[in-house]
Amino acid sequence: MSLAAEMFVSQIAAAEPWPENATLYQPLKDDQILLSDCASSLAVQAYLRMCNLPINVSYRANAEYMSPSGKVPFIHVGNQVVSELGPIVQFTKAKGHSLSDGLDDVQRAEMKAYMELVNNMLLTAELYIQWCDENTVAEITRLRYSSPYSWPLNHILAFQKQWEVRRKMNAIGWAGKSLAQVYEDVSQCCQALSQRLGTQPYFFNKQPTELDALVFGHLFTILTTQLTSNELSEKIKNYGNLLSFCRRVEQNFFEERDGDSTASSSSRFSKGPSLI
Amino acid sequence: MGTVHARSLDPLPMRGPELGVHTDEVDLVEVEPETKQEILENKDVVVQHVHVDGLGRTKQDFLTHEIADVFTAKNLIDVMKKSHDARQKLLHLGIFREVEVIIDTSQGDDALPNGLDVTFEVTELRRMTGSYNTMVGNNEGSMVLGIKLPNLLGRAEKLTFQFSYGTKETSYGLSFFKPQPGNFDRNFSVNLYKVTGQFPWSSLRETDRGVSTDFNFPIWRTNHTLKWEGVWRELGCLARTASFAVREESGHSLKSSLSHTMVIDTRNSAIIPRKGALLKINQELAGYTGGDASFLKEDFELQLNKRLFWDSVLSASLWGGVLLPIGDKPTCIADRFYLGGPTSVRGFSMYSIGPQSEGDYLGGEAFWAGGVHLYTPLPFRPGRGGFGDLFRTHFFLNAGNLCNLNYGEGPRAHLERLAECIRWSYGAGIVLRLGNIARLELNYCIPMGVQSGDRICDGIQFGAGIRFL
Repeated sequence: MSLAAEMFVSQIAAAEPWPENATLYQPLKDDQILLSDCASSLAVQAYLRMCNLPINVSYRANAEYMSPSGKVPFIHVGNQVVSELGPIVQFTKAKGHSLSDGLDDVQRAEMKAYMELVNNMLLTAELYIQWCDENTVAEITRLRYSSPYSWPLNHILAFQKQWEVRRKMNAIGWAGKSLAQVYEDVSQCCQALSQRLGTQPYFFNKQPTELDALVFGHLFTILTTQLTSNELSEKIKNYGNLLSFCRRVEQNFFEERDGDSTASSSSRFSKGPSLI
Repeated sequence: MGTVHARSLDPLPMRGPELGVHTDEVDLVEVEPETKQEILENKDVVVQHVHVDGLGRTKQDFLTHEIADVFTAKNLIDVMKKSHDARQKLLHLGIFREVEVIIDTSQGDDALPNGLDVTFEVTELRRMTGSYNTMVGNNEGSMVLGIKLPNLLGRAEKLTFQFSYGTKETSYGLSFFKPQPGNFDRNFSVNLYKVTGQFPWSSLRETDRGVSTDFNFPIWRTNHTLKWEGVWRELGCLARTASFAVREESGHSLKSSLSHTMVIDTRNSAIIPRKGALLKINQELAGYTGGDASFLKEDFELQLNKRLFWDSVLSASLWGGVLLPIGDKPTCIADRFYLGGPTSVRGFSMYSIGPQSEGDYLGGEAFWAGGVHLYTPLPFRPGRGGFGDLFRTHFFLNAGNLCNLNYGEGPRAHLERLAECIRWSYGAGIVLRLGNIARLELNYCIPMGVQSGDRICDGIQFGAGIRFL
């Protein structure tokens, strides 16, 4: 489909209201999903909850391949399929739901910069630990990633994915980094976020934005996920305001709706740290 | 005379002949001028030696079975007939370019007065041959580059590599073939392949990478194939606009299946037969030997041809199949049956009958299709005896149905579902035979019994393919 046609379709889609049966797709929660996917998925869920848009969560072993961009999560709204946080934010904006409308241009630029920081640092660090740290690869990643497949496809697909991620790490210059350096990067990123947050409830004071959703998704997932060592979560625990920020988002957007049947994932968050 | 290392049959008459031919040392048995003439036609003769000349890498023991019959000949006519049969068998092995037969009276010390020597002069195929050709499959053309290593180990083994670049798919395959010595039709082959296919009627792209092993063997007048196949299948959407039902099927799966095919084919030609029948029954059991896909698939194909007056042929075909999932997993879009198009139920678009979602056809778990054709020569028979014989006009009536089965309902309900809402069509057209592998059709079709969601092709429809209803 040409770009113009795609634009046209998305404009038509914009006119339609948010349907009740909007669904978010992500890999299987208990056996399959990996740290980075879980973080991205939680970020999108947090964003949609902040926008007050109802979403059902569906767990599919082939979510990664169903996604038009090959990345999870993606949402299926009406007859539209949109993947990843950035495009989803654009998509909801077209439908008239936005969290960053109240920001001025400078703040918006700052928000985008911090979102890039999170994607470049936290997401990449998660991918690095998942696929480049031999311990984690052997003990967690390979088993979980290949769990839906039978032999010998499980080995082939895990190897293929590992190779793909490593090639990406090579391209962005992370391949030569040691695990300690990666932890240091995460620490620096957290420090920057902590300084920006300060004593405010959210990054841009009273109103949460997509940056809050993104940061929450990553930090909360890192804090609640059992890895081979807890060094990664320890880095975040050094920053008290980030911890209370996570607690705040969880309380305001996940716990208050425990009564909602839609949020099958919300029960997990009240349990505290769990094995994801 | 050169040294002939052929052993005589006489010392070991019951154990069958053995051959010991050293190509380089064998000279032609030349006809010596005979002064007296004899009429050999009704005289008993003994085939004393059989030579095979011109062997390079071919192992002699492999040929023993093919030429053994020549020793049993008792008179000259018999010798000629059996030598001819043996020649056909040798050519059938696909390892010789040429085979010539020379029959002569025996020479040498142990020569009997009524002894004969039979010499096969063969020319082996080259160690490696390359080919370049274009292929027409079901509505698709492709360019095929191939490398063949015939007679690789000297016993008619064949290694083939094929790379095909097509309008819709690019694929490659490596195959190793080995026949049983003495019984060429009993053979086995191992294949490694990658095939990518695009199916616009389903907005689906499929990449298969697989290994398969088949055993072929004839029993009486039937040919059987036992096959194990392990395929890694990768499904994806052809476009962003693919329906969600197809998107849900995306991803990787592994199919490991055992299948059995039985074929009886008495037709005189596969493309436009004049007489004979074809019955093909295929069954596939997947999941028993591993993999993610579990199902039992049965399908059959029946075709009867009867020659009528004025060179016209009446042909009737019936196809049918059912796919039963094993376990609670639903069937995969790649395993289901598809129907419609210029090669099956004419008048409908390619595979555009039955269950669909947002215009993407999802296939069905059961189908049947039947067709009656009347083939006649072209009106006024232009180009008779030559080019015109490649053409036929035909009148056809096709019908079929495709649906999903709800397994709670029982076989009676299934039959009822297949019998309701039958799609059918009729029309006439011209058929062109392309060699003995494919045919082209240009038809005027009138589709009937169209159900909502079916895509039709009312009027002129063009089709090319290798398998026709």
